[in-house]
Amino acid sequence: MAFEISKMRNIGISAHIDSGKTTLSERILFYCNKIHAIHEVRGKDGVGATMDSMELERERGITIASAATNVQWKDTTINLIDTPGHVDFTIEVERSLRVLDGAVLVLCSVGGVQSQTLTVDRQLKRYHVPRLAFINKADRTGANPFRVKNQIVEKLGLNAAFVTMPIGLEDKLEGLVDLIMMKAVYFDGEGGIDIRYAEIPAHLAADAAKYREELLDCASMFSDELAEAYLEGAETPEMIKAAIRKGTIAQQFVPVFVGSAYKNKGVQLLLDGVVDFLPDPTEVKNIALDLDKNEAEQVVVCDAKLPTVALAFKLEDGQYGQLTYVRIYQGELKKGSELFNTRARKKFKVGRLVRMHASAMEDISEGGPGDIVALFGIECASGDTFCDPSVNFAMTSMFVPEPVISLAITPSDKKSSDQMSKALNRFTKEDPTFQTFVDPESNETIIKGMGELHLEVYIERMRREYKCEVTTGMPQVAYREAISQRAEFNYTHKKQTGGSGQYGRVAGYMEPIDGAVYEFVDSIKGGSIPNEYIPSCDKGFKEAVKKGSLIGFPVVNIRCVINDGASHAVDSSDIAFQLAAIGAFREAYEKAKPAILEPIMKVVAEGPAEFQGNIFASVNQRRGLITASTEEASFCRVEAEVPLSEMFGYSTVLRSMTQGKAEFSMEFLKYGKVPTSVSEQLRKEYEEQRRKEQGR
Amino acid sequence: MLKEELIKKSPVRVLERGIEGGLKAGNIGVIASRKGIGKTSVLVQLALDKLMQGKKVIHVSFTTHTSYVISWYENIFNEVAKRKNLEDYSSVHDDLMKNRVIMNFNQEGVSTDQILKSLRAMIVDGGFDADAVIADGFDFARADAGHFSQVRAFAAEMKLEFWYSCTMTGEEPLLDKKNVPVILRPFLDEIAVLIVLDPKAEYIHFVVVKDHGRMNPSDLSIKLDAKTLLIAEA
Ligand SMILES: Nc1nc2c(ncn2[C@@H]2O[C@H](COP(=O)(O)OP(=O)(O)O)[C@@H](O)[C@H]2O)c(=O)[nH]1
Ligand SMILES: [Mg+2]
Repeated sequence: MAFEISKMRNIGISAHIDSGKTTLSERILFYCNKIHAIHEVRGKDGVGATMDSMELERERGITIASAATNVQWKDTTINLIDTPGHVDFTIEVERSLRVLDGAVLVLCSVGGVQSQTLTVDRQLKRYHVPRLAFINKADRTGANPFRVKNQIVEKLGLNAAFVTMPIGLEDKLEGLVDLIMMKAVYFDGEGGIDIRYAEIPAHLAADAAKYREELLDCASMFSDELAEAYLEGAETPEMIKAAIRKGTIAQQFVPVFVGSAYKNKGVQLLLDGVVDFLPDPTEVKNIALDLDKNEAEQVVVCDAKLPTVALAFKLEDGQYGQLTYVRIYQGELKKGSELFNTRARKKFKVGRLVRMHASAMEDISEGGPGDIVALFGIECASGDTFCDPSVNFAMTSMFVPEPVISLAITPSDKKSSDQMSKALNRFTKEDPTFQTFVDPESNETIIKGMGELHLEVYIERMRREYKCEVTTGMPQVAYREAISQRAEFNYTHKKQTGGSGQYGRVAGYMEPIDGAVYEFVDSIKGGSIPNEYIPSCDKGFKEAVKKGSLIGFPVVNIRCVINDGASHAVDSSDIAFQLAAIGAFREAYEKAKPAILEPIMKVVAEGPAEFQGNIFASVNQRRGLITASTEEASFCRVEAEVPLSEMFGYSTVLRSMTQGKAEFSMEFLKYGKVPTSVSEQLRKEYEEQRRKEQGR
Repeated sequence: MLKEELIKKSPVRVLERGIEGGLKAGNIGVIASRKGIGKTSVLVQLALDKLMQGKKVIHVSFTTHTSYVISWYENIFNEVAKRKNLEDYSSVHDDLMKNRVIMNFNQEGVSTDQILKSLRAMIVDGGFDADAVIADGFDFARADAGHFSQVRAFAAEMKLEFWYSCTMTGEEPLLDKKNVPVILRPFLDEIAVLIVLDPKAEYIHFVVVKDHGRMNPSDLSIKLDAKTLLIAEA
């Protein structure tokens, strides 16, 4: 079945952990009549919400996987895409944000805007995702949605106004006022399924009028028709909705809904809001990179007649077998048709095609532009783009950030060891920022990722999904080495041991560069090194930069330039020039004043103001740089730049220091030079380790 | 131009000569003007001058978000660096910004005690050994009675120079006969240096109203360019 495209929404729910994302998702599924009972998230029956298929997820209360669920709300089809809530999962977050056309930002009426809310909102802004805000938990003691709305304006810097307001708060939350219809709305019956409209209670009439005025003042900015009608008092709900929709899609306005997912209040109005205010797939501009034109940007158009372009954004190995979720950006995806995977550069045939509902899977024969569907048994990695063979586009850049942390893992028994490789194989396919290799020196399996939590989650998943027990080593920071000045080399590699010898001379210089990891430049004039051996020099340098001599970490931001050399008619060879380049690199490296670089994280900690001093001190003790602090009434927020190596175990420290009242988030920021004392320590450790290994 | 030369040629040197060599630690200085003349820009230039000299600065903002404050510093630094052709631009930039920390307060609901407690926490617990505090956007009309005497004692204890901006609001006339902003009269004793920015036909003048205890209005021979908001010699 193809849907009418104006009646289609691809949305995600973004939230701070514990603000009620899972509960809300589940309520949405319930009201859309796709599931028939409401289980509490951490309910006694242990059934849990349908969106969170993974056990681990349920235990931690955070959402890691991003599956898509298709639901029907009135005459609109909604694909609900589960977005990971934690900043550590950078690529996962980016993937799911890519396929969204709109989002619901969930906030807690008590907790308000917190550091993770800021992170999540920043991500939505970065991907230009239009959003609605849902201030949840209005039934909780201490709920103050009005304060939270002000925080949305002040802390998130959004132009926002209420479209619904609460009737009563905390345990007296009775219903909501719809500020567009100017009606009270009550949610009767089991699960609040019966909606009853009534007059606005007299004691709230003045407030309702005030908030409606605020809403109309905002909305009028986006529609002259509304502005004029409003002046004459002749505005209609349709005009208001159209204006809000315009502002929301342009990301210049955020309509704010209030409610309680848990107490079944306000979710249906929010769903109406998704339909009324968030864009359909044709209203969002999507850009592909044309791989035939040096990744030039190319707009893809939501039109069934154009060549197919689809993004594989999620792989799932579940009860149904190997599933690949794709978002179709252009053209159609038909069963039996031939597609081209532009990363793997391989053609494949579309086999079974399905749509995932909350509790069932539906076989379909085709998916239209804008839709999200799942393919069976496709060999691919997440992030791959599938195209009609006539085009060669990528929906995401091939650029993947380098992991900043690594960990050695050892399986506890034979069975775990078999399972481990299966699990790692799967995870690395799903998530390119998660990498794994076997250290040739220690023979240990090393996993690498974007943060401590990132790796922890995969270890948990191994345990649960693959019954694979592993012991882990200490987390290791991914250091880098970089030179700080230009240095010349002129190196001759010569070997004469019977048979054919080896000869090659390489001269030139190395210098630091910005923006690129490694560059090789051949500026030899006159052929002092034969053309056929130029790539050998490049290869040799590439080999050399894999391991700097300070502490054995990769050398980055370097350009190696060759401008002279010599060869021998008989003794020169590919390997001779590779070795000459490696020798040349070693010769110049020390002279180029190499330094050790470490990953620096942007850390945001917040909590009650009384702990500000403790937070400052903890940053200071960790070689951190406080960049800003904000204080408001009894609340403080501290921003800092701290080396990753100093952040291990910080969550425990922060928790115990503040009685669990403060929290923090962090994101990779940049690589920075380590101070001399640390550099000396690292070099000493490296030397010792090498000596030990040689002694073996 | 090298950093050292830039410091030597800075118009801030002229300003200092006009106020007995500078504000000095333990003192409060105020830059006052009507709204929108360029006080923030002047404060940021004073701060950047300190940062150039390797000193540490706490920028306290009572009104704007951190990101706005950062962009003030970035814009002015870029503009000055470009005009003076500063050498080694990006490493100078990084060194400077390392020595600046921004603290935001909401004046409403955060008392003087709490502000000073936070500053002390930054200096002592945070190990941020500040030389100067730049306070922008403070509303003098809503200051607690003891605010400035407390701040002065704190500045003396911590060996800090303390620069405020003051927006003159309220009923005309905004200045009294001695050129003192009416809004600052209750606090004049605590203020060591008071400079009023006075927009005249050609340019914005720096009028020294109080100079370390002396009340002798005089014009500094510097001006504020109304377009670029940069300080220049007049
Ligand atoms: N009082 C109240 N509790 C809620 C509400 N929504 C969710 N919760 C509770 O808050 C906790 C976290 O909810 P959950 O949906 O797991 O949040 P998530 O971490 O954002 O997915 C659970 O104990 C929920 O029962 C609400 O509207 N009101
Ligand atoms: Mg959840």
